[in-house]
Amino acid sequence: MSSSLLKLDQVEAYIQKFHILQGVSFEVEKGGVTVLLGRNGAGKTTTLRTIMGLNQVGKGTITFNGENIGDLQTHQIANKGIGYVPEDQGVFGDLTVGENMRVAMKKEDEETTRRMEWVLELFPDLKKFWKKPGGALSGGQKQMLAIARAYVNENELLLIDEPSKGLAPIIVDKVTESIEQMKENTTILLVEQNFMMASKIGNQFFIIDDGKTVHKGQMEELKQDKVLMKKYLGIA
Amino acid sequence: MNIRRMEKSTWIFIIISLLLFIVPFIVTGRSMQFTIIQIFIFAIFAMSYDILLGFTGIISFGHVMFFGIGAYSTAVIMDRMDATVMSFFVAILIAVFIAVIVSFIVGVLTLRLKSHFYAMLTLALAGLFLVAAEKWRSLTGGNDGFTFRLPEILRDSHNLYMLCLVSLLLFFFGLRRFTKSPFGRVLMAIRENEARTESLGYKVLHYKVIASVVAGVVASIAGVLYALSLRFVNTGVFATDLTIDVLLMTIIGGVGTLVGPILGAGLVEFAHHWLSGLSDVHWIFDRWIILYGTVYILVVIFFPLGIVGTIQSKLTNRPVKGLQDNRKAVGK
Amino acid sequence: MDLIISLTVNGLATGMLIFLLAAGLTLIFGLMSVLNFAHGGLFIWGAYTGVWSFQMTGSFIVGIIVAIITGLLLGLVTERLIIRPVYGNHIQQILITLGFMLVLQEFIKVVFGPDQKAVFPPEILQGSFLVGDIVLIKYRLFIIAVGLLIFIVSSFILKRTRVGLIVRAGVMNKEMVQSLGINIKLVFMLVFMVGAGLAALSGIMHAVYSGVIYAEMGLEFSILAFIVVVIGGMGSFSGSLFAAILVGLAQAFMAYYVPALSLAVNMLLMTVVLIFRPQGLFGKE
Repeated sequence: MSSSLLKLDQVEAYIQKFHILQGVSFEVEKGGVTVLLGRNGAGKTTTLRTIMGLNQVGKGTITFNGENIGDLQTHQIANKGIGYVPEDQGVFGDLTVGENMRVAMKKEDEETTRRMEWVLELFPDLKKFWKKPGGALSGGQKQMLAIARAYVNENELLLIDEPSKGLAPIIVDKVTESIEQMKENTTILLVEQNFMMASKIGNQFFIIDDGKTVHKGQMEELKQDKVLMKKYLGIA
Repeated sequence: MNIRRMEKSTWIFIIISLLLFIVPFIVTGRSMQFTIIQIFIFAIFAMSYDILLGFTGIISFGHVMFFGIGAYSTAVIMDRMDATVMSFFVAILIAVFIAVIVSFIVGVLTLRLKSHFYAMLTLALAGLFLVAAEKWRSLTGGNDGFTFRLPEILRDSHNLYMLCLVSLLLFFFGLRRFTKSPFGRVLMAIRENEARTESLGYKVLHYKVIASVVAGVVASIAGVLYALSLRFVNTGVFATDLTIDVLLMTIIGGVGTLVGPILGAGLVEFAHHWLSGLSDVHWIFDRWIILYGTVYILVVIFFPLGIVGTIQSKLTNRPVKGLQDNRKAVGK
Repeated sequence: MDLIISLTVNGLATGMLIFLLAAGLTLIFGLMSVLNFAHGGLFIWGAYTGVWSFQMTGSFIVGIIVAIITGLLLGLVTERLIIRPVYGNHIQQILITLGFMLVLQEFIKVVFGPDQKAVFPPEILQGSFLVGDIVLIKYRLFIIAVGLLIFIVSSFILKRTRVGLIVRAGVMNKEMVQSLGINIKLVFMLVFMVGAGLAALSGIMHAVYSGVIYAEMGLEFSILAFIVVVIGGMGSFSGSLFAAILVGLAQAFMAYYVPALSLAVNMLLMTVVLIFRPQGLFGKE
């Protein structure tokens, strides 16, 4: 399949002694938003961390652009063109917003500057608080900073872990909107509990349960399938 | 205690102890006997260090201060009073008394600090004792130190051997009881997870202070015996090198085992005795610390439980867990 | 008045020398949270190799460069062999680096012999200036200049350059920095090497200042470095500068006014600071 950008094949992973991922397989097509769904503790975050090389791959393969990245180190994986927005946003608290961006920017060429301008237009708050320390930002602003940081480099794929977590509904709308704009030119793999948000921006979905992928399909179909939603997501 | 219910290990220790009583009748060489006496003394010192490092999980860089207190108490008392056995008992009492006071004050002042701050502060305090010993010449004779007389009975190397051996055994079995008591269990809980022990309702500081008083008293007795064995004392008994020596002995032998520090003291003193003896063969043996340091580093990396701890964990099949501090630090 | 100025200049020079020693340690602790008791070992290796090449070539500059290179290389070896297995575990760091300290110190005796060695400053830095009635010894002024330079350059690098930002970010959240495509292991290794290089630099500077070097300086200066870093508040760069100058001045004045206490002055300072302000003067809670 030439069009798949990221492919996980029977990936297993451990955290200490615990067998967290017990066979995760899915493919992310180029373009659009793929959503990973599943209950708390199903292994969604671990899946993203394993893709980034922050957890070791126990068994199975992860290929990105046709290349096996399962054995690479985190920074090498990132440099293949994968951006990561972790669940806790990973904002560097003692550095200012500007410095956070500067750490992220691998190059200072025209393209990066263009992307930077674009993302700042998307999140004007960041521009406003440019000199404020990251630790002093609100939850929503931190989320925006984390997304901007992942976007500023020319990444082909963004992994975003629960961007709506702990945010006020109005901020969630803002973040949703920004992700929708980004999906125009970047592929996004999203972990999301907020079904409203996921269904609004998602194209295809995979459900992870007990460390395994158990279902896949198009977002449109899932919205109709009440049984599936109740079984795996607890939504009636 | 019901004899039949005693642990197997206790039997082994008793047999080994009995064998040690025969040794001076077999090994009659003066220098070898002296080395063994030194081993006993440092074994006591190292066991006291193990109470801190191995059982409570705190690193002191100033433990030598108690050793020095013991050594100077003995030397000064024997020098100022008649050379009788009575004065020797007075010396022990005074050594213990000062050690209790100092370890209590130091403990209360310092044990709230984080590990490395505590290590540095104890280092500084021991340093102050060293400076005091150097400057208070009228009492200590300064850097040159002084010799003193002993009653006949304590001058005999055979008696000295027995005295040190008996002390070692008393402290070994005593501390073994102590560490296996409920109190000792709390100390180990502190070592494993200080915050959790505190949240279980134990006053961690109290326990740590008492542990450091016990360690201080035992170390001061080691100092008493040390002065006794040399019939001489100088500021060297407050030197940081001695703290480092017992630290290495404890780690190599096995922290938190009590037997380990004894074994460590034996190995280090023997190695020193033997390798220095080889310096006529090649000058490199004068630099035996290189070998010693390398072994120690390898032990810290690969056998964090030391010799005895590693053997024990093999025998009991328990997972290996070295010394850790519970705070999460940057970089893994 | 002249006496006070002289003592102050002496104290500042000693302080700057101590700062050079503590700077490397501060960097390594502040950025990587590594307690390196082998710091004094790197210090004496800098001193011995620097003095040796200075005496061989007659050029002090060559001596300084050789010392720094020695420090960098030893730093590389130390980080890979000694520090890497114990990242994140303070107790093991203290134990293992202390052992390595002893080995480094003993190896000095193997390579350079066990006796102490005399060192003389280069001609250009010998002698002194006379300003009014005040004698300003050239080498002391040189030390103050080097110390200030190092302070300014390191502060600039940490605060203003991307490398500095990466290092600081790496301390806060290592995984995130890696996820941004940065090889943090390499960065940390470089930081450690720079810290070791600074230790070695302070070694050669100190060797010429004190006029004599011996292997046991290793442990002595490990301890001195830690005292200063603890007073300054573990990892604060400005804190170390302040504490180093404090210690330097205290030593200079005590040596003149209360010589009996001058040996104990560092220890006393640290004890007082830790009892009343356990996190150090500039440390965060």
